[in-house]
Amino acid sequence: MIFGTGILQGLMVTLKNFVTSYFKAPDEGGIFTVEYPEKRLPEKERFRNFPFLLYDKNPENLRCVACDICAKECPPKCIYIVREFDKDGKPLKRPAVFDIDFTVCMNCGICEEACPFDAIYMDHEFEIASADRHAKLLYHRDDLLKSNEYFHKIRPTDASAIDARRREAEEKKKAAEAAALAAQKAKEAAAAQAKPPEPPKPAAGA
Amino acid sequence: METLDQIFVLSKKGILDFLGTFLPEWVVTLACVAITIKAIAVLGPVTMMYLTLMERKVIGRMQNRIGPNRVGKWGLLQPLADGVKMLTKEDIVPHGADAVSHFLAPILIVIPSLLAFAVIPFGRGMTPVDLNVGVLFFIAVSSTTTIAIFMASWGSRNKFSVLGGMRSAAQMISYEVPMVLSVVPVILIAGSLSTNDIVLAQAGWGGLKWFVFTPWGFFAFIIFFLCGVAECNRSPFDLPEGESEIVAGFHTEYSGMKFALFYMAEFMNSFTVSGLAATLFLGGWQGPFLPSWLWFFLKTYALIFVMIWFRGTLPRIRVDQLMGLAWKFLMPLTLVNILAAGLWYFTEGAARWLITASILAGSFWLLTKLNRGYTPEKRVYLFAE
Amino acid sequence: MLPLTLLVKAGLYLIMAISLLAAVASVSLPNIFHAALALALALLGIAGIYLGLQAEFVAVVQVLIYVGAVITLVIFAIMLTNRMADRSTPAKNSLGAACLAVAAGLFSILVRFIRSTPWPETTSAPAPGTSEIGQALMGPYVFAFEVISVILIAVLIGAMVIAKKDNPGEDAP
Repeated sequence: MIFGTGILQGLMVTLKNFVTSYFKAPDEGGIFTVEYPEKRLPEKERFRNFPFLLYDKNPENLRCVACDICAKECPPKCIYIVREFDKDGKPLKRPAVFDIDFTVCMNCGICEEACPFDAIYMDHEFEIASADRHAKLLYHRDDLLKSNEYFHKIRPTDASAIDARRREAEEKKKAAEAAALAAQKAKEAAAAQAKPPEPPKPAAGA
Repeated sequence: METLDQIFVLSKKGILDFLGTFLPEWVVTLACVAITIKAIAVLGPVTMMYLTLMERKVIGRMQNRIGPNRVGKWGLLQPLADGVKMLTKEDIVPHGADAVSHFLAPILIVIPSLLAFAVIPFGRGMTPVDLNVGVLFFIAVSSTTTIAIFMASWGSRNKFSVLGGMRSAAQMISYEVPMVLSVVPVILIAGSLSTNDIVLAQAGWGGLKWFVFTPWGFFAFIIFFLCGVAECNRSPFDLPEGESEIVAGFHTEYSGMKFALFYMAEFMNSFTVSGLAATLFLGGWQGPFLPSWLWFFLKTYALIFVMIWFRGTLPRIRVDQLMGLAWKFLMPLTLVNILAAGLWYFTEGAARWLITASILAGSFWLLTKLNRGYTPEKRVYLFAE
Repeated sequence: MLPLTLLVKAGLYLIMAISLLAAVASVSLPNIFHAALALALALLGIAGIYLGLQAEFVAVVQVLIYVGAVITLVIFAIMLTNRMADRSTPAKNSLGAACLAVAAGLFSILVRFIRSTPWPETTSAPAPGTSEIGQALMGPYVFAFEVISVILIAVLIGAMVIAKKDNPGEDAP
């Protein structure tokens, strides 16, 4: 052994890295950096970020009923909701104000888990940087609204599962309503039948 | 080809001829000096700016990163952005600092680095000042850097600064000895201290008769280059500014443009050391086909690349290893090398190759054996069983 | 060319003035570190004067040895002394007047000798080339040169002997 052979070996390693960084593909020893604003990695489906409000078909038809559960569950208290009232002062099942302060939001996703109406979900949008945190980062109701199609686009698995569940629930509800209606009708019919003081015998007998 | 080779000389001559048509002679003489000074004063900082970029890019590539690439094409404007950043930063002077030393040190440290440019032969007929003691001038000027480092370290009133300054001074004094001794064979063979004459002594073989292709030249080159890296306080000899140990050494307490001046001095030093190594051992501007100044810059930048390569590869060495390398390995080897160069001077033909090469190889092997660190076969514990 | 000669002369006198001032500062400054720096400036100024006299080799050696090595050593010594961070150490004491008198006497003697020495004036200054110096050292003055080498080696060995610990195992726990 003479002086310097170990150093030469080390130098060869770095030189190899230097040269291959220009010619080789990322998985063969080249540079694996993805230069972000121009190129980007594909988004993962389970990636979650800031919340948004979901609506069906048109923005008037939003799912949120202003129940205030998410605002109560939110750990940093970044959600602010005011219920909408109609002219007579009767409360409506929709929010007049739905504000989320994204400077406070910590992307925990508890609002999504807490919502019983499938109205609030975590988004994939993360490039919200702005120079004005008071005006640009306080999102109002209309900024937060996004369609169900968008939800299907970013999180297809979750969206279809939720839609299926909702459809089932809807159908169950409809069935229940139908059943209730039928029961009502039957009741009414029974009542109608029972109304005549002296019904004919076969009915009473049935 | 001839025009391209002499393009800078000719353009300077053109300017002076033009000035000579309407100005008195002594103004033209002054202008001649001023043009040279201007060229150096521009070349130094611009070189430094782009060396920072080159260093970051090359190190990045060695670590499988890309390096700066946001400002301008390939990050080419990054040095300008850094400069603006440095100039707009707050200038902090620590409470209790020695105001004069603290203020003057960054200015003084740049002066030797700029002065060293004066004796570098950038091309055929392109030595700014052809001193007949050029090499000695370079060494003398670069040895004064220690004082500026002392001023910075003592003036900052900071423990880490003083530690870094002491380390730096010890290192520079130690490495100056083998550095000077490694130049001696070149002076011996070339018979002159002038950098220009040394380059001319390497003419021949189609511009490839460089001193590095002789046994003594090869060893002297390696020793000179290693000592040069140590003189610039560059990795792996960057103990004076070892980040993990003493924050940043002697420039811990500097911010903004003062800090940038320390960096400027360091990078200009690495340029001039590489340039002098190229001059002394790699034939300076001698080389086939290409213009002379291009050859010089190619060689210099190749050596700077090697410095950056060292930084990308080697970890910082210990203090005892640092001193051991200088005093116990490089010093004896340079002395043997002087002997070998003397033998080379007095012998002829194949015999001199054989004699010098065998002497040097033998002493290298012997020094390796003598310098082998002591590794105990069994670990001995003082207190535990 | 007259203006240039004047300029060079003015520059030389400026350098002389600066080195004189620095020399005065190096003995009168209260801060010992500043005094060392002033000494460095004075020595640099002397190198500048050598350059002006076209003695490049001597100038470069002046910078290399005095500024590069001696001043570094001086600063090292200052750094290793106690209480170096103290602000103001009075640079004068009761012996100041006596010192001044001795220095003035020495100066007057030197001036007398310098004035009484015949200085040969030559129009073309014989620049002491490096090869002439080398040949002189290896020729007429080889004995003195070798004696100096022997003394330096003795100094080196002596320094090593002093620096070496008597009992290396003493400090070990």
